[in-house]
Amino acid sequence: MPIHEKDLIRPENLRTHEQLTVDGVDVSGHWSTFIQSRVVTDYNEALEDEIAALPGGEFIHRCWQCGSCTNACTVNAVNPDFNPRFWIYLVRIGMEAELLRDKDIVWQCVSCNKCTHICPRDVNPEGVMKAISHWLELKGHTPKSPSMVFDEVFSDQVIRHGKIEDGRTIRRFFARTGQALQQDWLIEMAKRLARHLPIGLLARLGFSAAIAPRTRGWSRARAAIEDYVKDQQATQRRALGLDGPGGPPTTREGA
Amino acid sequence: MNDSILIVGGGPAGLAAAHALARVGRRSVLVDKADRLGGAPILSGYAKLVPSGEWAKDAIGGMVERVRGDSRVEVHTGTTVRAFDGSPGDFTAQLSDGATVRAGAAILATGFTHFDSLNKPEWGFGTFPDVVTTTQVEQMISSGRGVHCPSDGRKPQRVAILLCVGSRDRQIGREWCSKICCTVSANLAMEIREELPDCHVYIYYMDIRTFGLYETKYYWRSQEEFKIKYIKARIAEVTSDGQKLIVKGEDTLVKRPVTIPFDLVVHAIGMDPNVDNQTIASTFGVALEPHGYLARRNAYGNMAETSRAGVFVAGAASGPETIDDSIGQGHAAALTALGSLGAEKASA
Ligand code: SF4
Ligand code: SF4
Repeated sequence: MPIHEKDLIRPENLRTHEQLTVDGVDVSGHWSTFIQSRVVTDYNEALEDEIAALPGGEFIHRCWQCGSCTNACTVNAVNPDFNPRFWIYLVRIGMEAELLRDKDIVWQCVSCNKCTHICPRDVNPEGVMKAISHWLELKGHTPKSPSMVFDEVFSDQVIRHGKIEDGRTIRRFFARTGQALQQDWLIEMAKRLARHLPIGLLARLGFSAAIAPRTRGWSRARAAIEDYVKDQQATQRRALGLDGPGGPPTTREGA
Repeated sequence: MNDSILIVGGGPAGLAAAHALARVGRRSVLVDKADRLGGAPILSGYAKLVPSGEWAKDAIGGMVERVRGDSRVEVHTGTTVRAFDGSPGDFTAQLSDGATVRAGAAILATGFTHFDSLNKPEWGFGTFPDVVTTTQVEQMISSGRGVHCPSDGRKPQRVAILLCVGSRDRQIGREWCSKICCTVSANLAMEIREELPDCHVYIYYMDIRTFGLYETKYYWRSQEEFKIKYIKARIAEVTSDGQKLIVKGEDTLVKRPVTIPFDLVVHAIGMDPNVDNQTIASTFGVALEPHGYLARRNAYGNMAETSRAGVFVAGAASGPETIDDSIGQGHAAALTALGSLGAEKASA
């Protein structure tokens, strides 16, 4: 029978001494393997408040650990390590070091919101996943995820022009995530669009790509939105105990 | 044939029974071994009661005054029943104060005894002054002194409440759930946060049993409004590093051992059978059930019957009970006792 406790041992906690003698007995090498304690010795009480201060995290304190979210989760079905219930608990109780162990998978949430619809306590686990990813980025634990970069490129265009131009969004997204623009699937898509779309629509697409029209009278709206965004970012950084006014820098290349 | 009814125990159940009998014009004799009426809520100095939030001294104190001011209730405090003989409709009781009481029926509303935390030495009570019981925290609040660490009077910044202390524990021969400690603990946790908003309160549990409508008002509200943290762990031991109390256990949801520092540790103590139950059982000739509470003869037919005809039981004497249900059972026992006298009368 497999010994369940064995999976609790983490490779990084194994300690082996090349040379060791205990009470006159030579236990060098393999014989001196010790497992370092994995005891949690304190709770970080700020953690829950920090996550709750970020958009989506507001209702995290309602969670009673039923596991419905994890059970319903799209990503959990393919990656059992992706466990919203578990992360919500770590945040609530303040086990920061444990949370950081999973920092590279939290962003995999596909925002399908199956968890949100099944949660009996209205926790909005999908929002919590966003808040945790956001927190990890703001605290510098993870680089910006591709989806975060996409969101920024997208919203930056809306804020600047009051409009979206798909071609530019894709070009910038690729540029910022270091991907080549010449992608087979993209070329194929462009070819088929050219073949099947009505001429008028194609002409409009081409015009927008070349001219990048703005919504008329947008500059006042833009100023108001930018103020608001700056304000929100400053509030969030304060809640997380970070210095400086900025949030994650938004895209500024091009105009 | 005697129309008066003997009530033993002046807590919520006994007070309710005496009041109910008085309301229908019946005389009763109320005996309590303590020197005051009111039972556990008064004698132990409870603070705000579940579920109404009224102070115990107002709510239960009001019941005491109502009975005290009623000439149909003859009260003997600081008194026990020495001997009890006779048959339904005609019992005689000898009281420790020398009085002899003749009664047609008797209601045992003898309540429970708080679990003594010294019986769980691994949880630090009696060893560390800042390990206290829910009853002590109730007293801190009801006395107006406020929640504090007994060792030096400081206000705690982090409090752990351990559930099921003296309940659901075969090691110490207590298999029952004390029914109300989860709800009382959630209530206390909220009161602590209300008084000390910067103090974090953690509840260590095996299951949360805030039954019925208490789910919203206590379990949900304590999380949603007061951000109480619930941790699924049965604590292994409470020690001290010289400055703080150290709570050790396994957080079963993350499969990790924890050793967390706390300022104040609160035992949510359970309800033991009244320590006097052996004596009560032999004095009144009634049977105990396997846990040591007074046995009820049947669950549905007639409420409140014990193994002896003419002797009835109400409240926590027959098992862990809430205050409001004890009051309901006091009324039920009064009615069943009255009914039994009616039957005697009709057949006489
Ligand atoms: S929204 Fe994210 S966490 Fe929720 S079910 Fe979908 S993938 Fe899982
Ligand atoms: S479904 Fe909701 S309450 Fe249940 S574990 Fe997930 S977030 Fe918590």
